[in-house]
Amino acid sequence: MSTLGRLIDAPFEALQRRLGAARMPYVFVAPNLLVFGIFVAAPMILNVWYAVTGGTQLMPAERPFVGASNFGELLDCDQFGVIASCRQDRFWRAVANTAWFVPFQVIGLVAVSLVTALILNRRMAWRGFFRAVFFYPVLLSPVVVALIWKWVLQPDGVLNALIVAGGGARVPFLLDPSWAFSWTVVISIWAHMGFYTLILLAGLQAIPADLYEAAEMDGTPHARVFWRITLPLLMPNMVVVLVLGLIRAVQSFDEIFVLTGGGPGTATQYIVQYIYETAFANQTHILGLAAAASILVGGVLMVLTMLQLAATAWSKR
Amino acid sequence: MSTLSLRGIVRQFGPLRVIHGIDLDIAQGEFVVFVGPSGCGKSTLLRIIAGLDQPNGGQITIDGRDVTGTRAAERGLAMVFQSYALYPHMTVRQNLAFGLENQRMAKEEVARRVAEAARMLQIEHLLARKPGQLSGGQRQRVAIGRTVTREPGIFLFDEPLSNLDAELRVQMRVELTALHKRLQATMIYVTHDQTEAMTMADRIVVLRAGRIEQQGSPLELYNRPANKFVAGFIGSPRMNFLDGQAVGGRSVAFEGLPNLDIPAARETTEGEAVTLGVRPEHLAFTDGAGLPGTVDIVEQMGGESYIYVTLANEARLTVRRPGQTQLHAGEPVRVAIDGAAHLFGRGDDEHAITPRRLP
Repeated sequence: MSTLGRLIDAPFEALQRRLGAARMPYVFVAPNLLVFGIFVAAPMILNVWYAVTGGTQLMPAERPFVGASNFGELLDCDQFGVIASCRQDRFWRAVANTAWFVPFQVIGLVAVSLVTALILNRRMAWRGFFRAVFFYPVLLSPVVVALIWKWVLQPDGVLNALIVAGGGARVPFLLDPSWAFSWTVVISIWAHMGFYTLILLAGLQAIPADLYEAAEMDGTPHARVFWRITLPLLMPNMVVVLVLGLIRAVQSFDEIFVLTGGGPGTATQYIVQYIYETAFANQTHILGLAAAASILVGGVLMVLTMLQLAATAWSKR
Repeated sequence: MSTLSLRGIVRQFGPLRVIHGIDLDIAQGEFVVFVGPSGCGKSTLLRIIAGLDQPNGGQITIDGRDVTGTRAAERGLAMVFQSYALYPHMTVRQNLAFGLENQRMAKEEVARRVAEAARMLQIEHLLARKPGQLSGGQRQRVAIGRTVTREPGIFLFDEPLSNLDAELRVQMRVELTALHKRLQATMIYVTHDQTEAMTMADRIVVLRAGRIEQQGSPLELYNRPANKFVAGFIGSPRMNFLDGQAVGGRSVAFEGLPNLDIPAARETTEGEAVTLGVRPEHLAFTDGAGLPGTVDIVEQMGGESYIYVTLANEARLTVRRPGQTQLHAGEPVRVAIDGAAHLFGRGDDEHAITPRRLP
C-alpha cells in the first residue's frame, strides 16, 4: 500500500475500532448529511416558520406568530378567477403566467429533446460533435444564456438586423407581451434540452438492437416501430424527463429574470420571481408571504409529481 | 417451405473480409446447421440470408427469386435470436401476434395462428404473461412460436439454445427436431456446439474463417472428415492427433514411439510429414504391440469411461471405453488403434489422406 493510502487508512481504522464496523457507514454519509442539513433541511424548516410568522424582521425569534394568515392573504380573492380582485394580485398574475408557461415549456422540451435524441441515436457522420453541440447550452451560466439571447432579440439585435437586411420591419421581440412570453419558452427549452436529450439518448441506447432486428424481420413499418417498441421501452426515461422538466419549469427564474426582468409589465413574471421579489427585492421584505407562496408551489409540485408517477405505474400494469 | 441458394457471397468490414465467396444450396424442407468456432462467420452468413446484413458481393436466391439487396421482411423468413428478442412490454400473445398485425392480417386469422402456435409449443397457459415473468425455456418457446405464427418459407435460428441450461438444451433439441419433422419446413440453424449440429442436422456446414471447410450429413463428416480442422471440430471428446512421418508407404513413425501400420500411408510419399488422427472410441488398451504410456486421469461416466493417457513421448491421448474401467491414474498401459484411423497432410489445408478403416 502506498504511503498516502496508509495515511488515509490509519484514522479510519482507529475510528472503526472505537465505533464498530456497523456504525462506520454513518461516518461516511456524515459530511453529505451535514451539507444537506445546513443548505436544504434547515432552510426548509426555517421556511415553514417564516410562513406562519409575520412582520418584516429577519431573525426568526423576533417574528410574531400569525398562524395561517399569510396563506389566507395569498388566497384571498373577492371573485373567483378574477386576478384583479385578489389581495395579492401579483401572486395570482405570476401563478397564471406560470400555468401558461409550464405546459408549453414542458411539452416543447420533451418533444424537442425526444426528436433530438432520436436523430442523435442514428448512425451519422459527426455524431459526437452534434451531441456536444446540443449539450453545450447546459454548460452555460443562466446569466450568459440570457445575455446571449438579449443580444439576439433586442430591438437593434442580431435577429432584427437580419430581418431589416431581408427587407422586413423591426419586431419588438422583448417589448411585446406575446413575443416576450414565446421567447421565454423557446430560450428555456434551448438552454435545458441538452440535459434531457442525454437522458433520452441513454434510454434509447439501452433498448437492445435485436428488438429492432426482430421488428425488421417482422416487416414492421417505421412509425409502428416508434409507437409500439421505441416509445413504450423509453417510457421510464420519458417519465424522468417529464418529472424533472416539470419541476425545473415551475422553478424557471434566472435566465428569464435577466432577459426580461418579468416584463413587459408582468407578462413574463413567473412564480419564483414573485417569491424572490416579495422576499428580497421589494422595498419592504415580506418574508412571510414569500415563504407561504413557496410552500404552496412545493405542494403543487409534489402533487403533480405523484400524479405522474401514479399514471406511469398504472400504464405499466 | 422454400429453397435457398447462395452464390459467391462476400462480406467485409472495412479491409477485413469475414466471408470469402460462399456457395451453398439448401433444399426444400432441409435442416441445415452452420457450425464453427467463434468468429468463423456463421452468424454473419445467417444475418446476410435474413436480410439484416447485406453482402458486399454475391447473390442470394430464395425459391429462384433473387432477393439480394431486398429488405428482410420481403424475403418471407423468420428468425429466432440468441437473446430471443421478445418485446418485453408486450404479453406473450401480443408478441406472437405482432408480426402478423404488421401484415394487416384479419383478426380471426391472427387469433387462429397464435392459438395454433401456442398449442404446438405448449405455451397456451402463458399467453397473458410478459416475457419477464417467464423462465428461459418458456421464453425460448415463445421466440420459436413467434416464428411459427409467421409460417415462413425458411426458419432461421441464431444459437437459440446457448442461453439455456444443459438439461433444457437437450429437451429443446429434441423438440426442435420434432418441430422440423412436423412442419416439414426449411430450417437453417447456427451453433458453435457440434453436439447440436450432430443431433439435429440433415446436413452440417462446417465454417472456418469465412469459408466452408466441409459439408455433408453428420455421419459423413464424422466418418470422413475432409481435413484436420473438421476432424477435430466434429466429435466429442475431440479426435486425438499425433504428428509423425510416413515410412515405406505402409506405416507412420513417431518420435520416441514404435511405428504404427496405417493403410492410408499407401497414399503418402516417403518421409512425408503427416498427422495421425484417431477418435477416442477407436483406441483400446492392449497387452501386445501398441503405444506405451501412463494413465493420467480417469473419468468414470458410468456408462462409459474416458481415460487420459500420456505417451512415452509426452504426447497426450484420450481413450473412450464402454462400461466402467478398472484402470487407475499412474498405471502403465499400451494403446492400440481399434477402429478407423485418419491421416492428414501437414500442409496449409491439413487435408485428409484417403482415410480407410483398419481391417
